Amino acid sequence: MLRQASRARLFKEYKEVQREKSADPDIQLVCDDSNIFKWTALIKGPSETPYDGGVFQLAFSVPEQYPLQPPQVRFLTKIFHPNVHFKTGEICLDILKNAWSPAWTLQSVCRAIIALMAHPEADSPLNCDSGNLLRSGDIRGYQSMARMYTRLAAMPKKG
Amino acid sequence: MESDGDMYEDSDVESAGDDFYGDGDASDGVSDADDDDFIGNDPDDSDDLCAKKNYVVLSDDDIRRLMDDDISKVFSVLSISKIEASALLRRYNWSVSKVHEEWFADESKVREAIGLKINNKIIQSPELNSVICVICFEDYSSDGILASACGHPFCVECWRGYISNSLSDGSGCLNLRCPEPSCKVAVTQDMIDLLASDVDKKKYYGFLFRSYVEQNRKIKWCPAPGCNFAVEFDIGSDNCDVMCNCSHCFCWNCTDEAHRPVNCETVRKWKEKNRAESENTNWILAYTKPCPKCKRPIEKNEGCMRMTCRDPCKYQFCWLCLNSWSTHGYNPCNKYKPETEDEKKKEMARQSIVKYTHYYERWAANEKSRRKAVEDLRRMDEVNVKELSKLQRIPETQLKFILDAWNQIVECRRVLKWTYAYGFYFPNEEQTKRRFFEYLQGQAETGLERLHHCAEKELEIYLNVEESDSKAFYDFRRKLTGLTSVTKNYFENLVRALENGLEDVDSLNAK
Repeated sequence: MLRQASRARLFKEYKEVQREKSADPDIQLVCDDSNIFKWTALIKGPSETPYDGGVFQLAFSVPEQYPLQPPQVRFLTKIFHPNVHFKTGEICLDILKNAWSPAWTLQSVCRAIIALMAHPEADSPLNCDSGNLLRSGDIRGYQSMARMYTRLAAMPKKG
Repeated sequence: MESDGDMYEDSDVESAGDDFYGDGDASDGVSDADDDDFIGNDPDDSDDLCAKKNYVVLSDDDIRRLMDDDISKVFSVLSISKIEASALLRRYNWSVSKVHEEWFADESKVREAIGLKINNKIIQSPELNSVICVICFEDYSSDGILASACGHPFCVECWRGYISNSLSDGSGCLNLRCPEPSCKVAVTQDMIDLLASDVDKKKYYGFLFRSYVEQNRKIKWCPAPGCNFAVEFDIGSDNCDVMCNCSHCFCWNCTDEAHRPVNCETVRKWKEKNRAESENTNWILAYTKPCPKCKRPIEKNEGCMRMTCRDPCKYQFCWLCLNSWSTHGYNPCNKYKPETEDEKKKEMARQSIVKYTHYYERWAANEKSRRKAVEDLRRMDEVNVKELSKLQRIPETQLKFILDAWNQIVECRRVLKWTYAYGFYFPNEEQTKRRFFEYLQGQAETGLERLHHCAEKELEIYLNVEESDSKAFYDFRRKLTGLTSVTKNYFENLVRALENGLEDVDSLNAK
């Protein structure tokens, strides 16, 4: 029953994504060919941030209770950000935990993650090094680290 | 093993005097008249130390009634719905005065904080035939759609899923909000009533009911396992000891067992120390001691401290200090004697263990004795009083003095136990006070031992004899009742004196 409901809802989201492919040029959501509960997304690093120019890949794992329960999302692309685990790519974001609402969609989750990239929360860090740089006021240090990892991991290699 | 038979013998000797009295026949009629008289004189005041009523024990029904009363108080004054009143109260920890205060200070702020709609600005669904539910993305005609006070439309099925999902997450469901992420309006009880399954509704009202006790500053659950009562306490009262209807006595402040005359902080320190020291004192916890005379191991399986070794040794001694009872008698052995010259030379560490052991052993022995007394009390209540009533041809109601005595013993054992924690932390510098404290404690112990012995051993005579004369029983009753009331008074004074930090000694010293 639940699985049916979440499948139906994901199917609707899939159709919506197909229909409005160009609506949000920063987000490209792709459903796994064989499993509608697995999605990936490519998101563009927001401008005026150290992630500008990078393209980051996200992996979605959608539970059967979706949309009553949130999807699990993590970065596949390495990123230096206070709220993203440096090794696993796990994301600390309230709407993916207790502030989840069934009215959110995979698309809106991507938008929330882009917003998080632009506005890091240094007080609940998953990446302590990054969080400490920000909390100690070393904005330049944080930005240069984040920019370096964006270049290394999120930009196409030149030549 | 200590033999019971020896203990009886001992009792027989002691109570021989009583037996001599009773050879004259007393008819039932006379005996009854005596009873009435006797009971009439008895101030029927079985209150113990923890029963000065600054608290009320609440059953489920009482709690529901109080909850309804509080809700009524709020909805009648603020003229809002019952459901809104209940949400408001929950937000402010079920304090009616706090709700009134906040509401009249800034109504719209309060409404916003708990998600009550501010005015009737309901989002009008567009004048179309169909509405899209933004959870399942299906089209619905307007009758398949429901909304909370804010008007955000979702289909009935998605509402059901949303509500049942939140209920499976625990008591957070009481603060459920509209599924629309930007909307802060509460999903109130009426929606739950309408949409939740019966099982979920029961859960919801269970959470609501528990929140009334758990968020309320004045009410706490009784901590005894399996007990469903709660206790409402007059905050600010001095005496925090309360007794639940399940007969568990606990301190309302720290919810540990009742512990007058020592304070919560001392109890915490003492228990922590017990945990830390348990390795050193394991040998004491083994509960056996060799008889001081014949060295046979003895397990203490009776309540009072006067021990008698089995035949042929029959040595009588005090369980605590192991001295002969013939010299010990009912004299207290509670005083902690500092080490002799030789031992003073030994390292400080050992001294502190010895000191701790002294207090711990007495603390633990009184606790064990208290537990035994609780069992004995139950047996008295369920079995012995009935038997005795048959044997002595006295109505059970007139044997209440036995239960009173046992209740008093339980109570006193607990107090006495905690005086040892009190003694352990008593400042060494205050010599005069310490001597006075040890004197008081010793007297308390003597009195209690007498009472315990009388209620345990002297009573057994009347339980084992087919027909004993009523005169002797009358004397026994007078003795036990007298001991109970004397001990009760003594312990009440003791608790008061210790709680005051023995301030009388100060005033005496000043003079």
